Amino acid sequence: MSNKLLSVENLTMKFGGLIAIDNLSFSAKDSQITSIIGPNGAGKTTVFNCLTGFYKPSEGELLLHKDDNSISLKKYTDFKISHKAKVARTFQNIRLFSSMSVLENLLVAQHNELMVASGYSIFGLLNLKRYKDKEREAVEKAKYWLDLTGLTSRADDNAGDLSYGDQRKLEIIRAMCTKPKLLCLDEPAAGLNPKESSELNKLLKFIKTEKQTGILLIEHDMSVVMGISDHVVVLNYGKKIFEGTAKDTRNSKEVIEAYLGVEE
Amino acid sequence: MEYFIQQLVNGVTLGSIYGLIAIGYTMVYGIIGMINFAHGDIFMIGAFIAIISFLIFGLTSVALPFILLFVLLISMLFTACYGWTVEKLAYKPLRGSFRLAPLISALGMSIVLQNFVQVAQGARTKAIHPIITGKFEFFQESDFVVIISHLQIFMVLLTIALMAGFTFLITKTDLGRAQRACEQDKTMASLLGINVDRTISVTFIIGSSLASVAGMMFVLYYGVIDFYIGFLAGIKAFTAAVLGGIGSLPGAMLGGLIIGLIEVMWSGYISSEYKDVAAFSVLIITLIFFPTGLLGKPEIEKV
Amino acid sequence: MNNSIELKKNIKDSLFTGLIALAIFGPIVGLRTRLQKEGLYIDPQWIMVMFLVVGSAVGRFLINLNSSRTTEIAFVKRAKLNITSYFSNKGKHLAITGVLFAAAYPFLPFTDRYMLDVGIMVLTYIMLGWGLNIVVGLAGLLDLGYVAFYAVGAYSFALLSTTFGWTFWICLPLAGIFAAFFGILLGFPVLRLRGDYLAIVTLGFGEIIRIILLNWYDLTGGPDGIGGISRPSFFGLPFTNNLKEGENSFHTFFNLEYSTAHKLIFLYYLILILALITNFFTLRIRKLPVGRAWEALREDEIACKSLGVNPTNTKLTAFSIGAMFGGFAGAFFATKQTFVSPESFTFIESAIIVAIVVLGGMGSQTGVVLAAIFLIGFTEIFRELEQFRMIAFGLAMVLIMLFKPKGILSNREPTIKLHGDQK
Repeated sequence: MSNKLLSVENLTMKFGGLIAIDNLSFSAKDSQITSIIGPNGAGKTTVFNCLTGFYKPSEGELLLHKDDNSISLKKYTDFKISHKAKVARTFQNIRLFSSMSVLENLLVAQHNELMVASGYSIFGLLNLKRYKDKEREAVEKAKYWLDLTGLTSRADDNAGDLSYGDQRKLEIIRAMCTKPKLLCLDEPAAGLNPKESSELNKLLKFIKTEKQTGILLIEHDMSVVMGISDHVVVLNYGKKIFEGTAKDTRNSKEVIEAYLGVEE
Repeated sequence: MEYFIQQLVNGVTLGSIYGLIAIGYTMVYGIIGMINFAHGDIFMIGAFIAIISFLIFGLTSVALPFILLFVLLISMLFTACYGWTVEKLAYKPLRGSFRLAPLISALGMSIVLQNFVQVAQGARTKAIHPIITGKFEFFQESDFVVIISHLQIFMVLLTIALMAGFTFLITKTDLGRAQRACEQDKTMASLLGINVDRTISVTFIIGSSLASVAGMMFVLYYGVIDFYIGFLAGIKAFTAAVLGGIGSLPGAMLGGLIIGLIEVMWSGYISSEYKDVAAFSVLIITLIFFPTGLLGKPEIEKV
Repeated sequence: MNNSIELKKNIKDSLFTGLIALAIFGPIVGLRTRLQKEGLYIDPQWIMVMFLVVGSAVGRFLINLNSSRTTEIAFVKRAKLNITSYFSNKGKHLAITGVLFAAAYPFLPFTDRYMLDVGIMVLTYIMLGWGLNIVVGLAGLLDLGYVAFYAVGAYSFALLSTTFGWTFWICLPLAGIFAAFFGILLGFPVLRLRGDYLAIVTLGFGEIIRIILLNWYDLTGGPDGIGGISRPSFFGLPFTNNLKEGENSFHTFFNLEYSTAHKLIFLYYLILILALITNFFTLRIRKLPVGRAWEALREDEIACKSLGVNPTNTKLTAFSIGAMFGGFAGAFFATKQTFVSPESFTFIESAIIVAIVVLGGMGSQTGVVLAAIFLIGFTEIFRELEQFRMIAFGLAMVLIMLFKPKGILSNREPTIKLHGDQK
C-alpha cells in the first residue's frame, strides 16, 4: 500500500528574467518509482535542485508527507535536506569521494549517527565501546549494500578506481546509507551499457519494494524509464505536459510531439 | 574641507597605482582562474627596473619627457619578460593539475622573486631624488592649502591613457576577442583556431607591463623602494580587483580607486598605523558580502 | 635520436632562452645599485650576468637533450616509484624507527648544542606542520595565515606568564583554547569561500594579527615584544645555577654538573612529546566520523551536503582544532625563547609551514616529517648562504609542484578496511 510521499504544488523557478520552471504540480508515492522526463533544458535538474535544497523556489510549495504530517522542503537547505527531511540524491556527474575507499564513502553517509555515537568525538577518542559498536553496525550496513550490488571485493579500493558502472552503483548505495524516505536520482543510467542498465533496474526495484523508499528519477534512457516506472511526469520548457503511467506516456500525443522518444 | 579635498586627490593618485596592478590580477584570474600570487612582486621588479633606468638616464642629458618615455618603455619591456617567464616556468605546466598546485607554485615564485632582488640588489631601501617636481596650489587663503603636484596629474593622465588604450585593445581587436573567448571556454576557443597558449602569455605580458608602469609611478611618487613593496601592494591590488569584480577591467580600476581612497582617508582621519588593517578588512568584507564585486558577473555553481 | 633538425631547433631554443635570461638578469643582477653619500650609483656586474645567461642557455640545451631520451625517463620513473612504495609499505616501521631516533637524538655523538637547537626547530615545524595538516591536508582548506594561531598561543602564554606568573603547564591548555577561539573567529567569515579566495583571506587574517601585535603597544609591547617569560622547570625543579640556600635545582637534585644543556635537552623532549601528542591525536581522529568528514569535505563539499554532513561545523572544527595545536606550539616557542615579538610571526612563516604540508603530501603525517627535516634541517645547516636559502626554498616549492604536485608521499591508506590486511 503506497502512500503519497511528495507533493509539488505550483512550483515556479525564475532566474532573473528566465522562467526555468513554470507552475509545475505533480506528486509521487513511496514504494514507487516516479520518472521525470523531457527534452534537454526542460528544467528537470532544476526541479531536483529545488527539491534538494540547492535552489530556493521563487514560488510554490514542496511538501514531503510523513505519517500524517507534511513538511515543507523549502524550509530545509543545504545539508538539512538529507539530515532532517531524509531526502537523498545522486548527481549527473558522479560525485564520489574519489581518494577515499568505497567503504569510507559509505561510512561518511552514516556520519550523523556515528557523530552522535562518538559523543561528538569524545567517546571516539577514548575508544569507548559505545562508539566501537556503532561503527561496527555502520560497517555491517555498508557491507549489506555492497553484497547486494556485488561490490564487496572492492570495499577497500579507492572509489575513483572503480569502473563507471560501479561508481554509479556506489553513489546510489551511498545515498541509501542515509536511510532516505525519498531518493532522487539524476540520470543514473547515463553511460551504462545494457547489462549495467538492467542491473540498475533490479537495484531500484529492490529499493522501492524492500525499503519502501520513494524514488524520483530523471532519465533519458527509455528502457529504464519504461521498464521500471510506476509513474511518469513529462516536462517541456519548464511546464508539465503529461503525467500518468508509463504505458500512457508512451502513447500520449503531446509527449511524442514534444520529443521523439529517445528509445534505446 | 580643504583637507578632505587633499585626501581625495592623494587617494585618486594612489588608487591609480593600485588599479594598474589590479588589472594584472583580474585578467589572469579571468583567463586561467588562478590568483597570480607573484604579481605584486612583478610590480616590485618594475619599480626596481624603473629606478635603475632613471639612474642611467640621469647621467645623460636627455630631456625629461623623453626620459620618462624611455623609462616607461624599458620598464614595460623588461618586466613583461619576467611575467612571461614566470608563466612559462611555473604556471603553464600546472594548468591541468589540482587546484592548489598553481597557488603553491605562485607562492614559491613570489618568494624567489623577492629574495632574488634582495640578493642581487642588496636588502637596503633604494632612494632617488624627485624627478618630476612642481605643483599647483589651491585655496591659498585658507588654513590648509591643497596641493596638486604635476606628478599627480601626470600619473592620473597616464593611467587614463593606458586604460583607454587597453579597453580598446580588449574590446575592438582580435587579440581582445581571443582573450574573451578563452575566458569563457578554453577548449572551445582552441577548437576554433585560437592559440590559447599565446593568448594566455599575452595576458601575462599585458598585466606585467601595466604593473611595471605602476612600479615606475611608485618610484616617482614615493622616491623610495625596497624588495618588500610587492607583498603589501599586491594584496591591496588584489583586494581592489575583487572589490571591482574579478574579471572586469573597469572593475579593477574602480576597485583600485576605492582602495586608494579608503587607505588615504583612513590614514588621514583615523590612524596611519592600522591603514593596512583597513585594507585587509575591506578584502574580507568584500569576499564575504559581495564575492562577485561591484562590476563582476554573478557565478552560479552548477550542480 | 639527435638529427640535425632537432639540433638546430635545440640551439635556436637555447639562444632564445639566453636572450630571455639576459632580459631577466641584465638589469636586476647586472646593474646593481649601491649607496654612497651622494646617493645611489650603478655598480655593473657583467661577469655575473654573462655567467647566468650562458648557464641558462646551456641548461636549456641539456634539458632539451634529456627530454628526447625516453628510456632515461623510464628508469627515473621506476626509481621514483620504488622510493614512494617503499615509504608507503614500510610506513609503520619507519615511523617507529623515527620516534626511537628522535628519542635518542640528544645523546647521539654528533649532537652538540647547535644540532640540538636545530632538532628543536625541526620538531617545532613538524608539530606546526601536523597541526596545519588537519586544516590543509585533511579538510582541504588552504590556510595561509596559520602563523596567527602560533602567535596567539605564544602571546597568550607570554601575557599569562608575565601577568599572573602561572607556570607553563597551566598556561599551555589556555594558550590552546585561545588559539582555538581565534580559529573559530577566522572560520566564520571564510565558510562560503573556496580555494584561492579562502587562501587570500586567511593570509589577510594572519597579517591583521601581526599588525595588531605590532601596534597595540599597551597590550603586546608593540615591536618591543614581551620578555621575561617564565622558563620551564622539571616538575618544579628549575634549570638554574643561581640557587638560594636550601633550594634544589635540577642539577643538584640529580647530582649532576651544572650545564646549560640540561635545559635545552628538557625543551627538546618537551617539544617531542607535544609533537607526538599532535600526531597521535590526528591518527585517531582520522578514524572518527569528524576526521572522515574533513576528508570528504576536501573531496567534494556538495556531495557532503547531500549526505547530511554539516559543512559549517566540519570546517569550524577543522580550523579550531588545527589552531589549537598551533597555539600549543606557540606556547612552547614562548617558553623556549622567554621572549616574543611580532618579528617571529611574519607571513613567511605561514608560507614555510604550508610548504611543509604540501611538499610532504597532503594528509600524510610521515610526509610532513620528511618535508620538515628536508626544508628546515638542510637549509639551516647551510645557514651561511642565508639569502640563497630563501631562493632555494621558493624554488623547491615550485619544483615540487612541477614534478610531484601531490607531494613526496601522496599515497593514502584508508582509515578502515573491510577485508583487514589481507590485501
